[in-house]
Amino acid sequence: MTTQTVSNENRPASLINHLAGWINWQRFLFALGLFFFLSMILFPFYWMVSSSFKSGAEIAGRAPVYIPSSLRLDAYRELFDSNWSHFQNFGVNIVNSLLVSIPTALIAVVLSTLGAYATARLHFKGRELMLNGVLIVYLFPAVLLMIPLFAMLSQISLVMGFNVQDNLAVLVLTYLAQTLPVALYMLTNYFRTIPDEIEQAALIDGCTRFEVIWRITLPLAVPALITVGIYTFMIAWNEFLYAFIFLNDRTAFTIPIKINTIFNDPSPRPHVVMAASTIMTVPVIALFLAFEKFLERGLTAGGVKG
Amino acid sequence: MTSMSRTRKGSSLFSGSMQAREVRLAWALILPTALIVFGLVLFPAIFSIWISFHKVGLYNLNDVFHAPFNGLDNFKAVINDFAFKWVSINQWGAAVTTIFYSFVSTILTLLLGLVAAMLLNRPFKARGLIRGIFLFPYVAPVISVAFVWRWLLDPRPSGVLNHVLMSLNLIDAPRAYLATRGLAIWLVIIFQAWRYFPFAMLMILARLQAIDDTLYEAASVDGANTWQKFISVTLPELRYVLGAIFLLRLLWTFNKFDDIWLLTGGGYGTNVLPVLTYQLSFNSYDFGKGAASAMIMLAALIIFIIAYVMIVMRNTEES
Repeated sequence: MTTQTVSNENRPASLINHLAGWINWQRFLFALGLFFFLSMILFPFYWMVSSSFKSGAEIAGRAPVYIPSSLRLDAYRELFDSNWSHFQNFGVNIVNSLLVSIPTALIAVVLSTLGAYATARLHFKGRELMLNGVLIVYLFPAVLLMIPLFAMLSQISLVMGFNVQDNLAVLVLTYLAQTLPVALYMLTNYFRTIPDEIEQAALIDGCTRFEVIWRITLPLAVPALITVGIYTFMIAWNEFLYAFIFLNDRTAFTIPIKINTIFNDPSPRPHVVMAASTIMTVPVIALFLAFEKFLERGLTAGGVKG
Repeated sequence: MTSMSRTRKGSSLFSGSMQAREVRLAWALILPTALIVFGLVLFPAIFSIWISFHKVGLYNLNDVFHAPFNGLDNFKAVINDFAFKWVSINQWGAAVTTIFYSFVSTILTLLLGLVAAMLLNRPFKARGLIRGIFLFPYVAPVISVAFVWRWLLDPRPSGVLNHVLMSLNLIDAPRAYLATRGLAIWLVIIFQAWRYFPFAMLMILARLQAIDDTLYEAASVDGANTWQKFISVTLPELRYVLGAIFLLRLLWTFNKFDDIWLLTGGGYGTNVLPVLTYQLSFNSYDFGKGAASAMIMLAALIIFIIAYVMIVMRNTEES
């Protein structure tokens, strides 16, 4: 930058002069670009959160209300207050979503840690095949698998005597199948960056393999484990298609399916949809911001399918 | 000590049993993952091919392995379906729509990502925070952002876009944007770019920050201005990462069901193959036909990947 401004505070220049001295084409374009992106990104989120605090009248008016008159909790009452008309019993859906996402994340971390340790450290025939196979699997679209999965699982359920529909455990299994390949790939790459020598030393000192994994590799891999855990949690929390196919009963709905149901209700209640969306979105954004450093690295390293 | 010999890389130091033990351990560790992935991805994928050649509906879903073989009937039915084939300029059919949609939105995603990455590539106050905000559309759940968009584009006069355009006197009456043929496809493309540009941005940004500063200095010495530097230094350096993002995003956009389903339900000229596959399977319960449509999708993907790899590889050999 050639026109770097010197501190203007002690110079008796008007604001216009100040701006004129500061601005140049590059800065102007930069500010314009930033403004464009920020408003384009943030306005929908603002609209979601602010609309969730609007009253039914503000929603149904002829013109949109850009700033709600007060923080009304009508929409949230409808979601949670059993005395409210159209009570949605949203608490059950939040619990369902947690019952799906948390086990998915935990199991994915445990299983992919074991698998990734094997593919990163141990030597066995078919290791490369396994890794490449997993990468190809990663490219398989969910849409392609929904029909055979549905047919297969209903077949299995007949034999084993459980219900495929409305079964959250089935959902966890399908989410694991979607997330394990990425998790395995990310963790394998991470384990390969941990020097092998440390583990060799521990083995020579008489540790068993599991002690090595537990005491040395895992503590060193904590950042990667957090990344994988949050990713899989977010994928399971956001997932729509499989939940849409496998869940039919209102009491089994996860949050996305419930939001879809409220949205398609014959009497449109956008503020309730926005309240439910806010409840669904805020934790994800908060998690993301809290762990941004880890997650960005994960994203560029192959990241989330979507 | 037993642990002494349990060292590394199948060297001759291993006694056979040690090596065998390591292999057994490896398989034990990877077995759960392998079982889930192969049982719930690979097997279903193969099973899907089988289904596409059989007559499978809701009535025989419980006895799917005895479904009657019907050769290429499912494929013929899909290809002749009015929802699939090109009918006229007003009715593209899912095949053409999918190609148009995935290519245009991938290119737009890439362009937006490139601009965003260029913006964030220079240091300024609060860059970290703004970079975090730029990623919001990508991490937020699809259902909530899709429904916000739908509501912003609401056909009632209270829809934000309607209100803004009417206040500016650009339109007289409110319009149903997502229910307008021709316009709807562009809106889902814009939504797609809005939602996925952060992915492109992150990858490009990582590459931008790895570009050697001396290249820019050399260009400055040669008297290049900012634009010339961008064309002759930045773009060539970004070529491979742009190619990689293009391929990945194209594959994922091609397969994407949620976004279009939630925005338009596949109506008004936005019916793409994933949505058609869903409708065939779960609205008309013709799973065989649905599987055939999924197979056509897969075939297109494979052909595209091969073509892409061949072109890219030929280019790398040339350069």
